Amino acid sequence: MQTWKYVVAVWMTLVIISGFLIPIPEIDILEQSARNLFLHVPMWFTMMVAFSTAFVYSVRYLNSEDIRFDRKAETATAVGLMFGICGLLTGSLWARFTWGAWWTFAEPRMNLAALSMLIFVAYFILRSAFNDEVKRAKISAVYNIFGITTVPFLLYIIPRQLPSLHPGAEGNPAFSEITAPELRYIFYPAIIGFIGLSIWMMDILNRYKKIKQLSSTKNEY
Amino acid sequence: MNIEPVKDFTQATVDTLTSSYSDKWSGAGNAEQSSTFIQFMSSHELIFVVLGVSLIIWFVLLFFIIRVDRKVSKLEKTVDDNSK
Repeated sequence: MQTWKYVVAVWMTLVIISGFLIPIPEIDILEQSARNLFLHVPMWFTMMVAFSTAFVYSVRYLNSEDIRFDRKAETATAVGLMFGICGLLTGSLWARFTWGAWWTFAEPRMNLAALSMLIFVAYFILRSAFNDEVKRAKISAVYNIFGITTVPFLLYIIPRQLPSLHPGAEGNPAFSEITAPELRYIFYPAIIGFIGLSIWMMDILNRYKKIKQLSSTKNEY
Repeated sequence: MNIEPVKDFTQATVDTLTSSYSDKWSGAGNAEQSSTFIQFMSSHELIFVVLGVSLIIWFVLLFFIIRVDRKVSKLEKTVDDNSK
């Protein structure tokens, strides 16, 4: 195992410990749940990084028609979707105890985030519809490029134009000078840690898929 | 009163419910006489218990992901050796 993976393991452990232990400012309603900032928000950052990776590999696949890029695009989309689903679930739980409801259809960011997850669920349904490897790779690459371009609109641009309980509405950024500075000391390392973890997962998945393909082509001969 | 026999009955059987679900949980109370570890875990409104639970989950997941990583490495090696 490469050294950077041990670094990610230790890094994340330190982030979890210090995320629980640092004193945070007391805010009504939020109370200790403000610590969710270290967990819920990095889910979406990691998802964005994973989807951007998938975007790059999809473009590279269409350029070169090298099946390795299709494999990597699929892996990055799967890991990104997984982090996005974690973000939805943690957001729903957090909403129950701060806004008072598990889910509300009046909340644009919540619903549009769920919608963009559905776009990527559809990506995997689309992939499963093809038996021909090249056809599957081409069409899913095109679909993924279109799918990922909708994400910034659904997650950032439209929710900011609408009234919402979620931070980052009505033209304001979610994270601003009113956010307590001590939260940032854990928040940024947490983002780095989760992104590292996602790269680790992608690495394992890619290697697994590569071996699987190698052994399946060998059996044909 | 008619209620009396019923009361006798509940006292006669081994009553785990009212004693377990009373406000005297065996864990929450007498932390002062316990070891330093128990005292530490009982402090700060039990936040360290949540930290402990989170760390257990994290380490189990980490153990799992490291094991899968190693298994894939081994598999890669055997595939490499076979192709040579």
